[in-house]
Amino acid sequence: MSAELRLKIETKRDELDRVSEIIENFGLQEDWPMDLVFKVNLALEEIVINVMNYGHDGGLHEVEINMTCEDGSLTIEVVDDGRPFDPLNDAPKPDVTAELENRDIGGLGIHIVRKMMSDVRYRREQGKNHLTMVTSIEK
Amino acid sequence: MGVTTERQDNTLIAKTEGRIDGANAREFQDALDAAIDSSERQVVLDLEEVSYISSAGLRVILLTAKSLQKQEAKFAVCSLSESIREIFEISGFDQIIAVHDSRDEAIDALKG
Repeated sequence: MSAELRLKIETKRDELDRVSEIIENFGLQEDWPMDLVFKVNLALEEIVINVMNYGHDGGLHEVEINMTCEDGSLTIEVVDDGRPFDPLNDAPKPDVTAELENRDIGGLGIHIVRKMMSDVRYRREQGKNHLTMVTSIEK
Repeated sequence: MGVTTERQDNTLIAKTEGRIDGANAREFQDALDAAIDSSERQVVLDLEEVSYISSAGLRVILLTAKSLQKQEAKFAVCSLSESIREIFEISGFDQIIAVHDSRDEAIDALKG
């Protein structure tokens, strides 16, 4: 059994609500546990917000989100035409053990994605960033 | 994204609901800042009705924790869903912010 979801969104923040609604419906259709819906929404938001904040010098751009559920695993690919950005190597790594007064504000998004997903891969292809995230679908 | 407040003894309890994400985190921050006076000494943020939080929302909670530490106030969060608790742990927030299962437990802990 496999299922696919293909989605195109624009780089504006109010798209986040639409994405979360679509993910929720897809999760219901595929009988995902609630915590997987949460996890997928969160991973997508962190990646998409990064593209919105740092990917371009302005203007509206398109971000593609492709999801495939197959053999108990979910693969999510996010494709954007922003400046080259490899979150695995280019993102600052936050110190999640620092005391409160020394804790940096920000930088947590990518850290959360890496911790939540079982695999995260990046490639730059034909002028676009492709970020692939994989997680298992536990019932 | 509103924040409602209640007072129990000397503790201010701030509560919000729904999603705290990149689209409304700024609004949440403004509402929380407005709700917490610089004279507060004990503040609990009740997340019972919060269904989702991203790093944009965590940022607001961290800023609040930092500013309360500066004014020498005690701060705790309570009633996190399992998913939100997991995000707190992944981010190491449970090491720097007191997390309690219930509002009463949080209030008791701040009193002590």
